[in-house]
Amino acid sequence: MTHFHHLTRRGALKAGAGATAAAIVGAPAILHAQTATLKITTWGGKWGEVMKGEVLPAFEKEFKCTVSADQAFPYVPKLQASPKSNPVYDVLHTNSNEQWNCVELGLVEAKLDHKKIPNIADVYPYAISDKIVGVSIFTSAIGLGYRTDKGLKKPTSWKDLADPALAGMRGGYIIPVNSLGQAHLMMLGKVYGKGFTDLDAAYKALEALKPIKLVDFTGQMEKMLLSGEVSMGVIHDSGIYRYDGQNQPIDFAIPSEGVLALEQVLNVTPGSKVKELAYAYINYMLRPDVQKKLSETVWYSPSNRKVNLDAKYDARLFNTEAKVAQLIQPDWKWYNARKEEIDLKVTRLLKG
Amino acid sequence: MSTRGFDAGRAAYYTLNGAILVFLLAPIAIVAVFAVNPTPYISFPPVGVTLRWFDKFFATEDFMVSLWLSLRVAVVVLLLSMMIGGACALALVRGRLPGARILTAFFMSPLMLPAILTGLALFQVFQLAEVGRPVWGLIVGHTLVAVPYVLRTTLAVLANFDMRIEEAAASLGASQTRVFFEITLPLIRPGIIAGGIFAFIVSFDQFPISLFLVPPKGETLPVVLFNYMKFDLDGAIAAASMVSILLALSVVLLLERVIGLKAYVKL
Repeated sequence: MTHFHHLTRRGALKAGAGATAAAIVGAPAILHAQTATLKITTWGGKWGEVMKGEVLPAFEKEFKCTVSADQAFPYVPKLQASPKSNPVYDVLHTNSNEQWNCVELGLVEAKLDHKKIPNIADVYPYAISDKIVGVSIFTSAIGLGYRTDKGLKKPTSWKDLADPALAGMRGGYIIPVNSLGQAHLMMLGKVYGKGFTDLDAAYKALEALKPIKLVDFTGQMEKMLLSGEVSMGVIHDSGIYRYDGQNQPIDFAIPSEGVLALEQVLNVTPGSKVKELAYAYINYMLRPDVQKKLSETVWYSPSNRKVNLDAKYDARLFNTEAKVAQLIQPDWKWYNARKEEIDLKVTRLLKG
Repeated sequence: MSTRGFDAGRAAYYTLNGAILVFLLAPIAIVAVFAVNPTPYISFPPVGVTLRWFDKFFATEDFMVSLWLSLRVAVVVLLLSMMIGGACALALVRGRLPGARILTAFFMSPLMLPAILTGLALFQVFQLAEVGRPVWGLIVGHTLVAVPYVLRTTLAVLANFDMRIEEAAASLGASQTRVFFEITLPLIRPGIIAGGIFAFIVSFDQFPISLFLVPPKGETLPVVLFNYMKFDLDGAIAAASMVSILLALSVVLLLERVIGLKAYVKL
């Protein structure tokens, strides 16, 4: 019987060295392109597929550049750990709450130069309101997702989540790590108290939602609704509408008190060495054809007024002045300033 | 004739072992069920059997590219950590180095630090050095946490090493190089290989360090799975996990077949 350990020492050493060299040489090399490279962050899932497959290659072709799109979280710590004069990203794409953290740390521009983004003239006011750092290119609406096969009436108010019949069958988020959970907490202050900043009322209302199933990602909430593990939960509209046509017994409800905006925000890093390209990218992402493509892929509401969506998207997404008026933008600057204290309190409240 | 009665001690022994096995294997069983269940979410009892999630896993380019990258990185890390860990162990035991115990603790220290901090620190170093996020940086990060495994297992072998064998070879005229390759290396090989297997598995499953060091379009499988889970939590994740488990198992079985791990299990 022949075994490898009968090989000569020299042969084994050669094989080892050869394997090492082959593996190193074969590893993907970093391309030192002659063209400018734009470093951005982007989401995964369907969004990532379309970005990598269509949107970014078209941008590269049009602007004769290379785009290096990071899909691996966490973005903000990476940006924080890189030199400000040579940041790891030129354009940061995150939800709004993280952009507010970044501006406090000087990681993104406090104010974008609108002259360099011509398409910004066509966006709805919420996209560049004082509640946004950078520009919101899309938004989802945070409302209530529910099962249509459990004999529930379509929810009309945020208070419907507190229905005693939903004990143990309602879903929420681990608030310290999820911005939907944080936005929902502010909404509880508005619905049960004096306003979005009424934390005492919000805590009381949150405690009244127990027993509640908590998750940290919206994807998990989608699966809990699909599997029937929860009958109603806090979720963004795109997390429900993406199952359109799949015959799933779930739907999205817009509470009468309004829905919370979950904005997709782009911003430029101050130390970017390709700022013109960074602005060009933001302008490109606001272009009607790009907006339509992405909106109809992931069910995000476009920021650009001039986007003409196909009928089924047009019927549900927030793409008219009247619909956009239902969007409530959380004050993340206010929230972030109190985040530690809120995290401690809600963790104690929801323990167990 | 004597019949053995109920042995409470033996029953407790088997029960405890059974409970430990269930504890260790239950997560794998749950993943296996999720991987072949047709629903795009975890449901129990399963509603059927399907291979669609395996199909999806093997048909998704991101998964395949990352799987291949993870395997290549793990092989390089295995080789590097065997060389570095083995050499370090020899130097620490044989080198009469001042402060050898402190040096041992130093080399083992990557295991004491939270790996996520090691990843963040390396990321920062690479950024400051303006080298970006090269694959060799990822290999460096993985090797850093893999070397202690080889070091520890080789040190264990060296602790029981009978130096008289080397002395006998030398007294019979063998050169130092010949003694090393024909006596020392074959005798410490069990420790190096056992550590190397750990190194391979540590690298292949490495997440916290990779999280910071993977470049765009160059993510390893664990990072791709984490990101996938945030957006598309379905059975493809479970299929990927099953493939990972089977791959790791295959490597161990292959090594067993090639170099005969049975001889080293005493480690």
